[in-house]
Amino acid sequence: MFKTVRAKVIITAIIMLTILMCAFAWHTIISRMKTKQLMVQNYVYSLDSFANDIKFRIIKSEDNLKSLALIGGLFYRTDRSYELTDRVITRIFENYPSTLGGGIWFKPYIVDKSKKYVCFYAYRDKNNKVVIDKNFGNKEYDYPNQQWYKQIISQVTPERNIVWSKPYYENLGSYTTMVTAGTGIYVDGELVGIVTVDWEIDSIMDRVSQMKPIEKTLSMYKSGGKIQNSFALLGNTNYDYIIATTDPYLKNDNLIGHSLKEIPWYANNLYETTYITYHGKKYVPFVKKMKNGMELIICIPKSEMFRAVDKFYSYIVLVMLFIGLIIPILLYYSMNNYMIKPIDKLINIATKIGKGEDIEIKIEKPQEFAQLASTFDKMTKDIKSITIEKAKINSELSIAKSIQKASLPNVFPPFPERVDFDIFASMDAAKEVGGDFYDFFFINENEFMFLIADVSGKGIPAALFMMTVKTLINNIAQSGYSPKTLIEKVNKKICETNKQGFFVTMLAGIVDIYTGKMSIINCGHNPPLLKRINEKYEYLQLESNYPLGIFEDADFQIYETTLNPGDLIYTYTDGITEATRADNEIYGEKRLYECLNHIEETVPKIILEKVKTSILQYTESAPQSDDITMLAFKYLGHNYKTFKQEAKIENYKELYSWIHETCSEWNLSKELTNKLDMCGEEIFANITFYAYPEKNGTIEAELKKENSNIILEFKDYGIEYNPLEKPDPDINLPPEERPLGGLGIFMTKEMTDSIYYKRENDANILTLIFKEQMDS
Amino acid sequence: MDIKIKSNGFNTLFVQAAGRLDLDTSVEYGTTVKDAIEDSDTDIQEVVLDFSQITFISSFGLKIILELYKHMKDINGVLKLKDVSENLMNSFKMVGFDKFLVFE
Repeated sequence: MFKTVRAKVIITAIIMLTILMCAFAWHTIISRMKTKQLMVQNYVYSLDSFANDIKFRIIKSEDNLKSLALIGGLFYRTDRSYELTDRVITRIFENYPSTLGGGIWFKPYIVDKSKKYVCFYAYRDKNNKVVIDKNFGNKEYDYPNQQWYKQIISQVTPERNIVWSKPYYENLGSYTTMVTAGTGIYVDGELVGIVTVDWEIDSIMDRVSQMKPIEKTLSMYKSGGKIQNSFALLGNTNYDYIIATTDPYLKNDNLIGHSLKEIPWYANNLYETTYITYHGKKYVPFVKKMKNGMELIICIPKSEMFRAVDKFYSYIVLVMLFIGLIIPILLYYSMNNYMIKPIDKLINIATKIGKGEDIEIKIEKPQEFAQLASTFDKMTKDIKSITIEKAKINSELSIAKSIQKASLPNVFPPFPERVDFDIFASMDAAKEVGGDFYDFFFINENEFMFLIADVSGKGIPAALFMMTVKTLINNIAQSGYSPKTLIEKVNKKICETNKQGFFVTMLAGIVDIYTGKMSIINCGHNPPLLKRINEKYEYLQLESNYPLGIFEDADFQIYETTLNPGDLIYTYTDGITEATRADNEIYGEKRLYECLNHIEETVPKIILEKVKTSILQYTESAPQSDDITMLAFKYLGHNYKTFKQEAKIENYKELYSWIHETCSEWNLSKELTNKLDMCGEEIFANITFYAYPEKNGTIEAELKKENSNIILEFKDYGIEYNPLEKPDPDINLPPEERPLGGLGIFMTKEMTDSIYYKRENDANILTLIFKEQMDS
Repeated sequence: MDIKIKSNGFNTLFVQAAGRLDLDTSVEYGTTVKDAIEDSDTDIQEVVLDFSQITFISSFGLKIILELYKHMKDINGVLKLKDVSENLMNSFKMVGFDKFLVFE
């Protein structure tokens, strides 16, 4: 399953995607961290700027205080114009828009012994207009007894330092939490009063708590910007008191002016990265230390602070997951559509083409597959044309094969009228045309030549050369040379025509049919087997000569022998002995020898058939590697006559004329002729009357002259019957009692020197042997 | 087979034939002789088979001779064989016919 392209591509894609996702996740985590750091940084910056703002205000306030102190000194030393002073104060306040209010407060009775309270106070109304408030210089307020007054006046020095009061809740007029900064008015080194500037803490705190550190940074995120549940603390560390806090868990009013230690989460060294856990929530503290020991701390819930960032990144993760899911699906889909489907289509078509269907391969897209398909189509067409070409060559080869086969004598029996010899030959060509051949012909009236040969090499060239050699031998043989000269001439001629380095092994025999004299020559060929009548086959070890076509002047040794009637010679090519079975073992000469000696028949045709069967059985299914060519020649001579007729009474005349002709040809005595005549008639009659009760059959007879015997053999394929088992008639009975039948077989027994019956291969064979008697 | 049968006018038939007495001819030979005996106007008491022209006799020929012998015996006649060659005589002897046949 994982072996398909589909699986592999998808697995690769998944692995790549996983790596990509990991990288992205890593990047996301880092960038999220960075973003958070950036946000913190950014907030620190905005806090800085806010602190600067406060600082600026303080500076302004101090300037303001100095101006007021100057005015206060002037008023004390000069004509003490109340109206002018009011105007100047108003003007000063208008110049210091950050100031909420402030005033000049003289010590009691110092300006005027009769006047306890001399003070000037201005403040900003709701419309930001500076208003002079005269309500402070009276008994009800009694400013010298106010805490801020006491605090400031107790701390001022002639160096005109700025003193800050503890925050206090103003329950007159503005009703807010205030802090007052002040300095003394010194005239000639004597402290005559103080000047103050009021700060309204609540508005500052409001601004602080509403500071949106990420407003700008995260303005691109819709949900970003609003930080809720944050709170601030403003305190003075030099004097250790709380100026203001928006801590929702504490009551601001009660704590103002108290020690910072009363804030549960407060510590000396808070920093942005030291998270505070307060009421089960994590807070990021931003700390800003300012002049005069003032310290501003803003605590922002961690979750709130990074909510937008976290939300944003979780969106990104979701999108990524979605992409991670959708990409493999898309990949699978597109691969299926653009790769697997065309491949499947190609496979389908290829299978169909393989089965022989004629289909045009066409795929339109994608382009690569279209190209592949057209290449494939072209290839298929090429293969088809090659196949056709090959088939043509094959058919030409088979034509060549049949021409080759037809050029060999292949009508058997080749000389049906001749009874003095029997010949049979066969060639079973291997797959391709080969160089084996055989031939036989009369070279003159008496001499018959047979030969079997093997041209080196295979295929068309060998076959063509074989044809040349065959024709050449035939032509030269007809010219009447002696066997030795004939072979020498043939060799020379082959050498002349042979430009391709072919050579020919050949075994040839030239037999004088009338005398049985045979010249036999072996030119580098397999040794033939000779079977003398009534003996076994034996390899005929001849002096081996060079194959033909090698040395132009080669000398050839001829072996001469005389064949007796019934002798048989078997020749073959190496296709027989080198027939190979599956385990690579060859058939070999020994097997051939044994095979032949197990064959009882001495008819060439049957011998060849049986050898072939034996080879086929041996090689079994192994393909035939070489031509299997054999030729068997049986010499019957003129001492051997055969007769064959249908077993019909009308054919009796044929029989006795055959007997008489043979006898006269062989110069047999009248008496013997008579005997043969009588016996022949009896056996003929027996076969004709009794052997074939239901059908027609044949009767075969042979007359042989062997040594000094005349042998008459009858053969029929009828019902089994041994006439010799019939009891002899009593010839001494009186004639009246003698039966008419049974005479014939009795006489036959009497006349023969020996008589045998055998049943063999569904044939009744009766052999009659007569001693030859010369006619006196 | 050319078979010539002559009667002497009384009771003797002379049978003359040439060639082989074998499978092919014997039956014809035997039938011809028997028919001649029956067809004769006189009572045949003697049949003389002239063998001078017979070259060959097979077992079938011998069988016919035995038949004729038995036939003559039945009608109280005599079968005589005339001029049997030595060659043929051997055949008669072989089957013991020489013991009862009359040769002239």
